[in-house]
Amino acid sequence: MILRNITCLLITVFFFAFSSVAFADNDSPTAQVKSTVDNILLLLKDKSLDTPARREKIRALVNSRFYFRAMSQRTLARNWKKASAEQQKEFVSLFSNLLENTYIGRIEAYTDERIDYLREKNKNPKRSVVFTHIVTKSADIPINYKLAKKGDQWLIYDVIIEEVSLISNYRSSYAEIIKKDGIDALLAKMKEKLNTADAS
Amino acid sequence: MNNYKLITKISFILSFLLAQGNLFAETTTQSDTTNIVLAKTKSSENTKASIEEDFTDDEDIIEVSDPFESINRKIFSFNDKVYFYALKPVARGFRAVIPENGRVATSNFFSNLLAPLRMVNASLQLKGEDATNETFRFLINSTLGLGGLFDVAKKDFKINIKKEDFGQTLGHYNVGNGPYLVLPFLGPSTVRDGVGILVDGAYLEPLNYIYDEETGRYMLVKLIDIETTISLDKDTYESIKKDALDPYIFIRNAYIQHRAGAVEK
Repeated sequence: MILRNITCLLITVFFFAFSSVAFADNDSPTAQVKSTVDNILLLLKDKSLDTPARREKIRALVNSRFYFRAMSQRTLARNWKKASAEQQKEFVSLFSNLLENTYIGRIEAYTDERIDYLREKNKNPKRSVVFTHIVTKSADIPINYKLAKKGDQWLIYDVIIEEVSLISNYRSSYAEIIKKDGIDALLAKMKEKLNTADAS
Repeated sequence: MNNYKLITKISFILSFLLAQGNLFAETTTQSDTTNIVLAKTKSSENTKASIEEDFTDDEDIIEVSDPFESINRKIFSFNDKVYFYALKPVARGFRAVIPENGRVATSNFFSNLLAPLRMVNASLQLKGEDATNETFRFLINSTLGLGGLFDVAKKDFKINIKKEDFGQTLGHYNVGNGPYLVLPFLGPSTVRDGVGILVDGAYLEPLNYIYDEETGRYMLVKLIDIETTISLDKDTYESIKKDALDPYIFIRNAYIQHRAGAVEK
């Protein structure tokens, strides 16, 4: 009887110890993504901030979690090597702004919804995918974050919404514009887009 | 006696966790295939250590055959006008007048009507489990869910909807997309998915059965369906129009990627 009690206790202790290890890992890709997203959501709900101040803070958070250089490189793909250093630099800056706007705009729309962090898959020590669902009343929207490790930070280099990879979508769209009109035309279009977005 | 209960409980939890692990493993491999199909990542070629170098591993462009681009673009801008000048204002009215829960129930109702369509297509693809799930969902939601108004199957039985249609069935048997099409009112499609819509519509869309006798009533019901969907959507189209350099290309690529993912699942 005592033996059985002890076994039982051991199993329970082992189980809880094991599970708490799994959840207490603050450096895991999931924990880092969650912390950024949670902080953004907190800022969005914070009524004491005025819109420009809130946007600025959100921008800083987004900037700290997104790997814009890698995203830019992946987006231009073959055209990255063909671009001059100056064009590359300009593209990174414009593309970062565009992505920021898109991401912030979308997350604002879903402020009141629940986000479930389903699981993560670590392909190797430097790459991971975090699988999440935005749970709305009428549907679950699957959103996966692809992450790369830089130092001790996990940085997002692609977002996949309902099977649609943002980067792969941008890549194909931009490649078509570059093919037709060249990279400078693309940069001009991006600038124009950013200007109209700021104006509205 | 209590100990036994505890042990059973723990082993139950453990086996549940393990089972979940397996489930996850399965879905993971599935989404992997999707990525491979879409991106054909050439990671094996990529042995250079530099992280920056690493990000050029995936360079593939989504290839879409779009020989009808000029006509497609015209229909695209027609649909754009229909959306902004007709559908959206009505959807805003829906938002203002009908509480969200009411609109969710309406959307559930229409979705439930299409359960047989999903079930048949899952069966045609020999996806036994999915077909069973859809049958179960249909039975449960039609009864306990009060004619489909409530998604009891998801809420209480944790059985989620899995969309299947005849376009996906064709894709499952390796029928390619064919040229990209923008259909008036219906939006992005391909020749394959257009055929899918016709086949599904001919037999499996219950709403179509009222079409022959009462076209007016059919249009009204269909409109309620569409407006409910738009009213629940969080301005996705507006956001794409605002952010994409060329919304036509963006939506075309998104559609092709999304469908490829749906076929793979």
